[in-house]
Amino acid sequence: MTAQLVLKNGVVFDPANGIDGEVMDICVSDGKIVEKVSGKAKVIDLKHCAVMPGGVDPHSHILGSKLGIARLISPESNRHHPYPATRNTRSGVAGIIPSSFATGYLYSAMGYTTVIEPALPAVKALGAWEEIDDIPGLDIGLLPMFGNSMITYRYIQDDDISGLAAYIAWTMKKVGGMGVKVVNPGGTYAWAYGGNVCGLQDPVPQWDVTPRKIMTSLAEAVAALGLPHPLHLHPNNLGRPGNVETTMQQLDALKRAKIKGKDRRAVHLAHMSFDCLGVVEDGMAKWKDVASGGLTFAEYYNKNKHFTVDLGQITFGASMTMTGDGPFQYSLYLMSGGKAKWSNIPVDVELPGGAGIVPFTFEPKSPANSVQWAGPLEFALSVKDVWRLVMSTDHPNGGPFLKYPLVISWLMSRKQRDIWLEMVHKNARERSTLPEIEREYTLNEIAITTRAAPAKILGLEKTKGHLGVGADADITVYGFNPEKTELAKRPDLILKYFTQAKLTFKGGQQISKKGIVGKQIPSRVLSVHPELNDDLSARIDMELEEMMDKWFSHSFSNYPVPMRYRQHLEIPKVIDSTAIRA
Amino acid sequence: MSGGSVRVLLTSGRTLGQGRAMEKGKMTDDYQKAVAVCELDTASMESLGIKNGDPITIQTEHGQTVVWAKHNKNLEPGVAFVPAGPYFNLLLGSYTQSTGMPGFKSLSASITSTPDASILSLVDLSASYKEVRE
Amino acid sequence: MTESTETFKDVPCTFCGCLCDDIDVQVEEGRIVKITNGCAISKERFLGHMENRCPWPSVKGEKVSLQEAIERVVEIIASSKRLLIYGLSSTENDAQREAYKLAELAHAVVDNTTSVCHGPTILGAQESGKAGASLAEVRHRSDLVLYWGANPAAAHPRHIPRYVRQPGEYIQDPKEERKIWLVDIRATTTSRMVDRFIRIEPGTDLDVLLTLRALIRGHTLDASEVGCVSISELEEMATAMKSAKYGVLFFGLGLTQTRGRHRNVDAAIRLIQDLNAYTKWTMMPMRGHYNVSGAHKTSTWVTGYPYAVDFARGYPRFQPGEYTAVDMLARGEADALLNIASDPVAHFPRAAVAHLMRIPVINIDPKINMTSTAAEVNIPAAIAGIECDGAATRMDGLPLYLKKIVEPPEGVIPDRDILRMIHDSLQKVMKK
Repeated sequence: MTAQLVLKNGVVFDPANGIDGEVMDICVSDGKIVEKVSGKAKVIDLKHCAVMPGGVDPHSHILGSKLGIARLISPESNRHHPYPATRNTRSGVAGIIPSSFATGYLYSAMGYTTVIEPALPAVKALGAWEEIDDIPGLDIGLLPMFGNSMITYRYIQDDDISGLAAYIAWTMKKVGGMGVKVVNPGGTYAWAYGGNVCGLQDPVPQWDVTPRKIMTSLAEAVAALGLPHPLHLHPNNLGRPGNVETTMQQLDALKRAKIKGKDRRAVHLAHMSFDCLGVVEDGMAKWKDVASGGLTFAEYYNKNKHFTVDLGQITFGASMTMTGDGPFQYSLYLMSGGKAKWSNIPVDVELPGGAGIVPFTFEPKSPANSVQWAGPLEFALSVKDVWRLVMSTDHPNGGPFLKYPLVISWLMSRKQRDIWLEMVHKNARERSTLPEIEREYTLNEIAITTRAAPAKILGLEKTKGHLGVGADADITVYGFNPEKTELAKRPDLILKYFTQAKLTFKGGQQISKKGIVGKQIPSRVLSVHPELNDDLSARIDMELEEMMDKWFSHSFSNYPVPMRYRQHLEIPKVIDSTAIRA
Repeated sequence: MSGGSVRVLLTSGRTLGQGRAMEKGKMTDDYQKAVAVCELDTASMESLGIKNGDPITIQTEHGQTVVWAKHNKNLEPGVAFVPAGPYFNLLLGSYTQSTGMPGFKSLSASITSTPDASILSLVDLSASYKEVRE
Repeated sequence: MTESTETFKDVPCTFCGCLCDDIDVQVEEGRIVKITNGCAISKERFLGHMENRCPWPSVKGEKVSLQEAIERVVEIIASSKRLLIYGLSSTENDAQREAYKLAELAHAVVDNTTSVCHGPTILGAQESGKAGASLAEVRHRSDLVLYWGANPAAAHPRHIPRYVRQPGEYIQDPKEERKIWLVDIRATTTSRMVDRFIRIEPGTDLDVLLTLRALIRGHTLDASEVGCVSISELEEMATAMKSAKYGVLFFGLGLTQTRGRHRNVDAAIRLIQDLNAYTKWTMMPMRGHYNVSGAHKTSTWVTGYPYAVDFARGYPRFQPGEYTAVDMLARGEADALLNIASDPVAHFPRAAVAHLMRIPVINIDPKINMTSTAAEVNIPAAIAGIECDGAATRMDGLPLYLKKIVEPPEGVIPDRDILRMIHDSLQKVMKK
């Protein structure tokens, strides 16, 4: 159905295939990148514009009930950002937490084509699928949360990795998930009675499990299933000055557990900016003593290769914090002196305690926020292997995804960093080594950290994040000639060209041009369906029915998302997990 | 002792009967019987000299309505209750304090015994709006 | 159809915000004959679904074909300047989404019954946030349940029996280990079911909530009573609330519809937030219609705003008081009304209804309701959860799939399809 297309004379950055700024043609046929096409193909001469695969965002809160509550309670965040309808596109609002249609269009305008929603309460997945029907132009993945589920704890307490793996597999199939998310394991559960769990070995109330056990068991189950994406972790102690130490301990625990994941990766650490805060020498674990943990963590990262990371970069300005970390969100409310609009959303059985939402503004002149800004940059600019690192802002926590070009400019341009170091509070200069760092990310490295690396980490590297034969024809053309544009010296141009892609193609269809979306195409959902052997399958059906009947306040049979909401959207990847013993 | 009127604070809300009747159908006798009533406390009933099922007229600054009295021995004197519905709404102003929400729960009203008044049928109630010039 | 009996299990009931999904429905020869587990209202809804139906599309009382009815609808919309689309809480999510699409095309206002239900709750949350609750968590953990301005025995009959007076993982004896209180201005059936009833003077909810908040924070107050409750009783309540292990506040229209409106809810929100400094408290609005939560939820993701949305400028704008249905009608601003799955003639104040009677009204509903008598165009719709499928949202945010149990009456189609047809016809007309 899709026409054949040739994009000629682009300056291509395709790191997965070793292409770093070569002038070449890209051939598209039927939504895929192919070797060659017939003479009847439509030809677009890119005239040496930069070309990258479509952007891949592994961690962005773009749908679901906590985002819905955030929009609900903060109309002011969207009032001044109308997004008018056009002949081909729906209207909406485009503030820091855009409405659903606008979310799709805005990502397309920026050249992104794959986005992962990183925290889904599986029991509420039906709502997510309905909402996806109203988010156009993307391939979307969903990560259901398991780290605070009563069912997870039952299996871990019984040392039953098979049961745990089967529960995960069952959930993936019933709700169309793609990976396993863990948020503040044990801590959010404790929040159901107002507590938290901070130490790796601290007991989780009412259960005989610890955060360490939860993490390692889930990582083991993920590996046993052969899921393409490793455990996706929001660690304990998020947002606490000094937590770089506990985060490293948490990663060590996974290293020692010797989880044999794909590429020997045991875990993906989400939004390191919130996980890797340091303190000044002889300082206390308090905000006034916060220092960048970026260098410390980079050193750890360079030595220990069993994990990958996304940045969660702070971008300053209004943001919306929303995580499944109920106690952390409450602490933000306390920090505001009880003035902030704090919301909490528990979810039956799977997230007791619940997710929290607090609108937040990162101030450049804030002594603490300036350090929070410097830390992840210091980290990203100090690591050796960019293939394990993804640029993100943990949208909308560190900042809205609309500010990705700003983050790119900080990575690519020392000049830009110097400008901002002047603007922000001096703690950024004094409590990090950022001012001394000269490194500037090349376009190749940007292509890695926004395309090739996330695709690989998500297990999508066959079809996403690259422009070789067999890839989905998700292509971004930027409006500058890399051979003639010195981006590092002109950070304003980085902002200009990365904010609105010149052309964005999704599955070979041109959907946006110079930031205007001219074509609305439905999104798709990438999921995994782990197949269990018959015995384990029968066991898990029986055990889950028993547990869910006991613990939920609705019917077990109404848990799965009906195919009627999925069949027109879902692209499931079947994996063979039959080796797991019943 | 009969005659005179009582002043009450009138509130409205759901009842089981009203809920069931709504589901059955709005233009039914069941619905009319469920919503064209005003629950009154014992003292008010005595003061008005009425018994269960007698027609009464409720008057507020916005309008008036005729409904059947219903004795509710558990009600405090001074608070009366009419189930949410068109009979109550004849009494209700549209001031929402710019919230969109009218004052369903807090109407100052006076109640008089009007034994000869008849309760509007639902059809007539609807039709009576078409004659209103406001 | 053969003489077959079929039993559908775990069917969600589409009456109130409890969305109980343990209803078993027995169907014989395409007719519902029996239901098990539902409350009295649920029984009426299922067993009486064929009663008092709007039988066919009509224009000015004359029977017409669906196509003709839609043509007239499109004429009305195309010649209006300020269309109000309203209702949506008693239909499923897809229909709601079609309504927003239509509103955008027609540059109309779209509001749902949230505006006269828990709209003020949303306004309160827009001030202060909201520490929400979930029904299973209440069952497992709460030792103190406080209903405020709600009468579940009348409006949510199984709320107490199915969700609250049930044992949970950490509360084995829901009678002894869980106390249920009610604060209301009058004694009701619910007040006779609970462990403690506190009667307050009408219109004093805000005063009492603020007093509790002050007492919980340890202040002494220079008053002997507030809202006709003695200070000593309020102090005792505050102490009990602080000593609970897990308290939950279920609040109803007694807070949203009385004097103070959203300020009452705002005060309740701040009270619950304050209590979290001492122990665990959460809160949940008692949503009335089965999918009013869905209406504000779908409106929020599609438009960015929960209700009172105006598309006059080609993009959504939000303003309660301006774009809320009661105000738009009472002010005489709406010059046409498209009403879906609600009954404003029965439920709106007189001045709003009086204006409604003067403008062309399109009414889409399965049954004949009071708005049918005022409507120029009536179009029958299938009942979601009985005659067509869809999705709805429970009062605590849980989405549930609604099942199709029986066929709708001949020629009757779901709301979403009717709205889609209206949209597509309107689009054609507007292109000319």
